[in-house]
Amino acid sequence: MSDRKLPRLLQAPAVLMLLVWMLIPLGMTLYFSFIRYVLNSLRRPEWTTPSLSNWRGLGNYEFVLKNKDFLLAIQNSLLIVCSILFLTVILGVLIAVLINKTFPGQGIVRVLLISPFFVMPAVNAVLWINMILDPVLGLQGIAVGNINDLLDSLRSAPIIGSFFSLWPELNPISFRATQTSAYAVIIMVTWQWTPFAVLIFMTSLQSEDQQQKEAAVLDGASTWSQFRFLTLPHLGRPIAIVVMIQAIFHLSLYAEIEIVSRGNGNKNLPYLIGEFANNNIGAASATGVFAVILANIVAIFLLRMVGKTLME
Amino acid sequence: MGRIVLDQVSKTFGEVEVIPPLDLTIEDGEFAVFVGPSGCGKSTLLRMIAGLEDLTSGNIAIDGADVTEVPPSKRGLAMVFQSYALYPHMTVRKNIGFPLRMEKMDQAEIDKRVEAAAQSLNLNDYLDRKPGQLSGGQRQRVAIGRAIVRDPSAFLFDEPLSNLDAALRVGMRLEISEMHERMQTTMIYVTHDQVEAMTMADKIVVLQAGVIEQVGSPLDLYHAPKNVFVAGFIGSPKMNIFSGPEAEKFGAHTVGIRPEHTDVSMTEGTWKGTVGVAEHLGSDTFVHVHDTGLADMVTIRITGDIAVKHGDTIYLTPQVDRIHKFDAQGLRIE
Amino acid sequence: MAIVAQSSKFSTYGRPVLAWAVGLLFFFPIFWMVLTSFKTDADAVKPEHLIFFTPTLENYLNMTENYDYWRFARNSVISAVFATVFTLVVSVPAAYAMAFNPSRATKDVLMWMLSTKMLPAAAVLYPMIFLAKGIGLYDTHILIITVLSLINLPIAIWMLFTYFKEIPKDIIEAGKMDGVNTWGEIKEILVPLAWGGIASTALLVFIFCWNEAYWTVRLTTIDAATLSKLIEGNRAPEGLFFGRLSAVSTAAVGPIVVLGWFCQKQLVQGLTFGAVK
Repeated sequence: MSDRKLPRLLQAPAVLMLLVWMLIPLGMTLYFSFIRYVLNSLRRPEWTTPSLSNWRGLGNYEFVLKNKDFLLAIQNSLLIVCSILFLTVILGVLIAVLINKTFPGQGIVRVLLISPFFVMPAVNAVLWINMILDPVLGLQGIAVGNINDLLDSLRSAPIIGSFFSLWPELNPISFRATQTSAYAVIIMVTWQWTPFAVLIFMTSLQSEDQQQKEAAVLDGASTWSQFRFLTLPHLGRPIAIVVMIQAIFHLSLYAEIEIVSRGNGNKNLPYLIGEFANNNIGAASATGVFAVILANIVAIFLLRMVGKTLME
Repeated sequence: MGRIVLDQVSKTFGEVEVIPPLDLTIEDGEFAVFVGPSGCGKSTLLRMIAGLEDLTSGNIAIDGADVTEVPPSKRGLAMVFQSYALYPHMTVRKNIGFPLRMEKMDQAEIDKRVEAAAQSLNLNDYLDRKPGQLSGGQRQRVAIGRAIVRDPSAFLFDEPLSNLDAALRVGMRLEISEMHERMQTTMIYVTHDQVEAMTMADKIVVLQAGVIEQVGSPLDLYHAPKNVFVAGFIGSPKMNIFSGPEAEKFGAHTVGIRPEHTDVSMTEGTWKGTVGVAEHLGSDTFVHVHDTGLADMVTIRITGDIAVKHGDTIYLTPQVDRIHKFDAQGLRIE
Repeated sequence: MAIVAQSSKFSTYGRPVLAWAVGLLFFFPIFWMVLTSFKTDADAVKPEHLIFFTPTLENYLNMTENYDYWRFARNSVISAVFATVFTLVVSVPAAYAMAFNPSRATKDVLMWMLSTKMLPAAAVLYPMIFLAKGIGLYDTHILIITVLSLINLPIAIWMLFTYFKEIPKDIIEAGKMDGVNTWGEIKEILVPLAWGGIASTALLVFIFCWNEAYWTVRLTTIDAATLSKLIEGNRAPEGLFFGRLSAVSTAAVGPIVVLGWFCQKQLVQGLTFGAVK
């Protein structure tokens, strides 16, 4: 019956496109990961084109695993994603609870809050690393400089001066070093995605059962107990969703890393693959396979956790 | 015209057989009511007639033509949904005229028919409102109007009154009955409320677990229920049904006696019991009697008022010629 | 926990003050960027001109010669608009079929689609470059539009699916009884009823396309390069050009942020696939 065929027909383009999009490049990545494939090789020109005769077996994987950058990249990927998730969820819940009650200008505060979410990642990174976090010219540098000037003048003041001369000179932090640039990325992405968490939690809080809360008040529950035993469980599902959606986006974080940390050793997996892909395609592909495996581990875990609640 | 014949119609959802093969004929101009507890398959059956649900096996014929493979709109049927299913983005006028527009009917003719339908349903003043601005009863009328304009060979109603409040429900019930008297078109009406079934139907089809328990006129079902299920389902308050030694005295495995067919006395009678709750309605009194040894509770309906209260001892005597007898399979013994 | 304390004093004074402080704090970087965009490059790095300065439009007026802004902006508009349209053309019918004629496989198909979003783009970076160069599409609008559509397809289908599912099935069936065909169902009932949801989906897809910064950076050189590539390529040598960089950044994000303000709620809700109401 046409009743059955038509729906399939309507879904077909989407399904086919995604299937092709997934299988062909992924298949090629798998293939490249088993051969020697280097873009610029003067010594062995036959390696510059992909061919089965350049079979390398697990050699690329071995090469990647022994590369010290690889472990660092995985560590960094996880550090960055987990830190962002942790910070956005905590800040999101706190801010959502704070602004959920009506107060003068609530609408404006919402608009102010959500704005970072719409800023393009490239601009986000440029803005933070230069104009805010730069140790000399950014607001950080200027602020530290001003505090030091203030301390200086206080030191020369009578009586209290001796007290302030015990204080050390402040040093601005450079966010372009290997480790600190990861923190810079965490800060800027948290800034961008906390608003997302806040808005979702707020939406959820508005559907909280008020009678249940009133019943709890009559039962003598304190504000903290209400939060702990009613509000927090109510937020369980939105928290799971915020975690899932952010994980999807942050595992492939790229622009921020590219802009903040180019050349300073702070890498995540996408960035490392990009570096390899400039020349050693075999290694880039093997790293890609590892990235897929990592993503799958996270995905299975997350879809198990959230998938069911999405479908109901 | 609208004679609907179901021939060995069945429905299976995955592994579950919701409707085993059944036969049923609804005559032209008949008001048929499908009634049964929720989950009995009555809505599924209606949706199969409408064409919204595929048949697993069997055939459906309307006026002699096999419509089993015919899409819903080509069957010449109109349906009124429980949720009214009005198009919220269209005015009442557009809603009622929508099926005609889909038939590519001439706009002038559409307007004429919509006006006529609105007239008969008292909707004239609301034609340019959207469904969201109407009350429940008005929405119900619009849904009926949308069905009427098509001049269908049969109307299908899927629990149309269950979203209305009690007072409105009684009014709409009458209106639908009057509509049927006026139009003399076949109507199939699904409900779980046996009062609606009794008051509206020419023919009641009692369903349980996808099986037709009995087909008949309301009074057939009242006077001669084919089995224990129908006996318990039709009638309000419910028939008192009991088995055991007291039933065997009447030569049956199970015996049923309607609340209104039992006489009461404060001094003597067949069975003795204690009054639990007495509901005084003025016109009638419902007395719920405990400790009779028949069933946990026996309900008695007495016309007029009777001065009984909680804890009183009461004697019950059944009107013997009105007793329903059933065998061990629950089937009626004549 | 001051934040959850509910003393009346806190509610009257503390909450608004704290809430406004948080809101302003989050908005501050954007404000700062806009403010800096009105400073000359020289003023932008002078502490004494941090707040007090003579505003100038020169950064905006010189955007074209400094950065060739309009060329990148035009590319961004072309890619985002066409990718959004294409995504919707493919996803509306698919979501319609899944919402109103689900089969046993529908749930699995939906989950699978979402899982393609989890496939790290970087893993297929080189094959994409290889294929794009192989068929001569590298650095073209067609390639960017296709890729942007593909990466947003799962989210669009999910969002639309949840919006469509909120339409009562009865209404669709009433339509069937009233004689609409599939095309009529989409045109007369689905689109008018789910208009808001479709618009939110389109907007979100547009924003994601506009902000996308992996494929647009890696699969273009100049002809199809978008604003993301422009900003990424000019990440500023140690603050020499804060003023002009702020101006071009403001011009790159301004339209989207304003667009986002008007539909923040639907957007964020849509992105949760209707699971948070």
